[in-house]
Amino acid sequence: MSDDSQAVSVTINGHLYSGTCEPRLTLADFIRHECGLTGTHLGCEHGVCGACTIIVDGRSTRACLMLAVQADGSEITTVEGLANGAELNPLQEAFWNNHGLQCGFCTPGMLMCATEFLEGNPEPTADEVRECISGNLCRCTGYASIVASVLSAAEELRR
Amino acid sequence: MTVIGERVPRADGQAKVSGEAVYGVDHEEPGMIWGALLRSPVSSGTITRLDTAPALAMPGVHAVITAADAPDAYAGWVLRDQRLFASDRVRYEGQPIAAVAAETLAQARAAAAAIVLDVEALPAVVDLEQAMTPDSPLVHPDWESYVPAAGPDFPRHGNVAAECIADPPGVDEAFARAYRVITDEFVAQRQYQAYIEPKSAVGIFRGGRYTVHTAHQFPFNVRDRVAQFLDVRPSAVRVVGHTIGGGFGAKLDAGLEPYAALLSRAAGGLPVKLVNTRTEDLLTCPSREGAITRIRSAVAADGTILARELEVIADNGACSGEMPWLAAIALHCARGVYQGGPTRVTARLVYTNTAPTGAFRGVNGTYLYHAVERHMDHIAAELTLDRRDYRLRLLFGDGEELLNGQVLHEAGILRQGFDALEALAPWADLEAGRRPYRGIGIGAAWWLTNPGPGSAVVSLREDGTAAVVTAANDNGSGAVSIGVTQIVAERLGIPPEDVFVTLPDTDIAGYDGGSQGSRTTRAVGKAALIAADEVVEKIKAVAAGLLEAAPDDLEVAEGSVRVKGAPGTRVPIAMVASTALNTVGPLQGTGSFVTPFPDFNPSCASGLLFPSFPTPTYHVHIAEVEVDPVTGTVRVLRYLVAQEVGRVISPDGTYGQVSGAVAQGIGYALHESLRIGEDGRYRERTLESYRLPLAVDIPRVEFVALEHPDPDGPYGAKGVAEGPVLLPAAVIANAVCDAIGRPLNSIPITPEEVLAAIQS
Repeated sequence: MSDDSQAVSVTINGHLYSGTCEPRLTLADFIRHECGLTGTHLGCEHGVCGACTIIVDGRSTRACLMLAVQADGSEITTVEGLANGAELNPLQEAFWNNHGLQCGFCTPGMLMCATEFLEGNPEPTADEVRECISGNLCRCTGYASIVASVLSAAEELRR
Repeated sequence: MTVIGERVPRADGQAKVSGEAVYGVDHEEPGMIWGALLRSPVSSGTITRLDTAPALAMPGVHAVITAADAPDAYAGWVLRDQRLFASDRVRYEGQPIAAVAAETLAQARAAAAAIVLDVEALPAVVDLEQAMTPDSPLVHPDWESYVPAAGPDFPRHGNVAAECIADPPGVDEAFARAYRVITDEFVAQRQYQAYIEPKSAVGIFRGGRYTVHTAHQFPFNVRDRVAQFLDVRPSAVRVVGHTIGGGFGAKLDAGLEPYAALLSRAAGGLPVKLVNTRTEDLLTCPSREGAITRIRSAVAADGTILARELEVIADNGACSGEMPWLAAIALHCARGVYQGGPTRVTARLVYTNTAPTGAFRGVNGTYLYHAVERHMDHIAAELTLDRRDYRLRLLFGDGEELLNGQVLHEAGILRQGFDALEALAPWADLEAGRRPYRGIGIGAAWWLTNPGPGSAVVSLREDGTAAVVTAANDNGSGAVSIGVTQIVAERLGIPPEDVFVTLPDTDIAGYDGGSQGSRTTRAVGKAALIAADEVVEKIKAVAAGLLEAAPDDLEVAEGSVRVKGAPGTRVPIAMVASTALNTVGPLQGTGSFVTPFPDFNPSCASGLLFPSFPTPTYHVHIAEVEVDPVTGTVRVLRYLVAQEVGRVISPDGTYGQVSGAVAQGIGYALHESLRIGEDGRYRERTLESYRLPLAVDIPRVEFVALEHPDPDGPYGAKGVAEGPVLLPAAVIANAVCDAIGRPLNSIPITPEEVLAAIQS
């Protein structure tokens, strides 16, 4: 670690992570390598694919486009924070039940993106879901099953 | 009760939605260090200086290797025309020249950047036509010294890496008496597989053997390629598979694995991990080849195709990979699914100073069907025939004999496909719905199920669950996590969640032909079914003693062995498995399977490396599109698919493959292109400019599964996943041309092309 390394302290999924890192370390690499949370996936490292989407202080964020030092003091939720212990949340259940994933590499980003979306729009139309996830790339599914998953989760969450 | 055809949750679903799944890029080993590659910055040139000393002096560096440190070996899937590192000549941008291992990834990359490299650029061979002229520079001046990986050599010369030619009698005579000769030329671009997980590998040299951890579609192929590059026998290499973040053909041949393996050796056996950046991945991926396809048809006044000539020139890139095998596919697709007279086929695969091309779902078929189906529309337009009626009139029927002599016994299924879509979207209604800038397209195809060998071992455990050991992997499709799981569950009469399938490991499982060509559910499912059959027989033999009944009077169902007709007389299979430990030994079965190639006429063509198409499936697609005349953008309003699948094992898996393939086909038709500059370098460098389809671009696919169970497939299954990618470019292009009333014969059909055509 070089002399210009900086202290970073973030709360991820309710746990406090403190450490030092290079100022140029991305938040994604910090989460994956320093915190050992590999559910946040890196597909492109230039902000296009959306696989590394997490929630920082209530807003969806691409972890590859943010530096770890910028997140100092933040509350972060990653895909590992969605389930309650072994119990999946309704959105996760919906992706599993509706074949909303194939290889699953885009799935964490899709889940985090949809998490924020459903909080703001609990009764979305299919077109609104399509719009919502159009910043996230999926190469396997053709998106139809992801749209169905999000709609199904919205219905379950309204119950 | 059956689980075949039922919706069952995929076995890897929990891990994938919770973030627990460990992908190839996530895998780490104790003591692991990191690697980086120095890659050629130019597409053609001579290395005049390569000095690794500055890199060796960098902090944290364990090893730096170049061609001088690698065995003097050539490797290749079909033709051994690849070196591990460029030594004197570089043949494509991104070609590895040196590799570094260091404590951290940042240190490895810094050290790779510190290597002094001078390359004297040479003219790049880029244009396919020019590459075939006698005065073109040769991409491989030593091409004559190359040898096939197996079997006899095949037709190739100079920059032509492979050639397949069929020249049956009667073609010229038919052209001489034609009512009309219809001629077209089609150009298709390169398409990047763009799986979201970049390639990675961890190599370990330990105990005189190489172990490679990788998320790969075809671990045994990696084993063989690493062995070739490192000049050891295949059993000196062990490949361990991990959860894979998409592949689509691009992870069938070795990528980073041999470099990670050799770096580990150079670093004294420390595990070394290599991960591609997205740009490295894009630049060096064996993408779908660009191609030029020319078709001439001699037609009668009623549209009868008297004869045809089809010529394909496909871009091999700088090395061959799997490509020479695939040249013959032009022969299998030259008439599409329509009857016609004698057909002359010339397919050439051409070396260029560009990244080697390779397998991408629906190899060669995407542009061949684009060409054939666009050409069918052209003929219909010239002769003022209805496009659908014309196709139906010439459509293959049962017993159709193909150009290679193969007979399609069930090609009549095609007509059922047209009928199924007619019920969903009557052609007359679609025609009536046409208005300016709205168009429809239709097309049909046949395709194979990859015949490659597979194997499985099924064990019944003492708690009544089953373990399946196989080197097949689930590339995401669900073929293993749903399909093979369901098949074993069905045969053993246990719930799918009680079936556990291993990840691939070439030291543990028998050979497997890889997740390619829609083969896994069928071929590995069949091997697993054979293994499960053996387990069932053993269960019955042991249970016969417990139940005091004859084995033939027993059935295995719902977790028990019971006497037929007396279901109350039963014993749980868990008890049978436990009992067996002390009587006959553990209950285990093994299964192996391979599909034979259908009969063909070996003298029908030269260079017939892929002689016939096993386990045919049949496909009919319709697209409805709308063109924005101001912006030139094309919107796909409706997309319909009717497809022969043998039997639906998993409805989710089946629909998922169709939907995903159509999306990739829509990208191919409208958005995606790896453009190549005159210098041989890609213009696209990241996913920012390589335009993948988004959720807003893809309609929900309307799908009809046609089921004609295959007696050789497990519970009737045939391949599903590849066929649906064959036709989107064809039917969308036909629909766009219908919408604007002008021909567009290049893909992708970008807004610029649409506007230029409208304004012409």
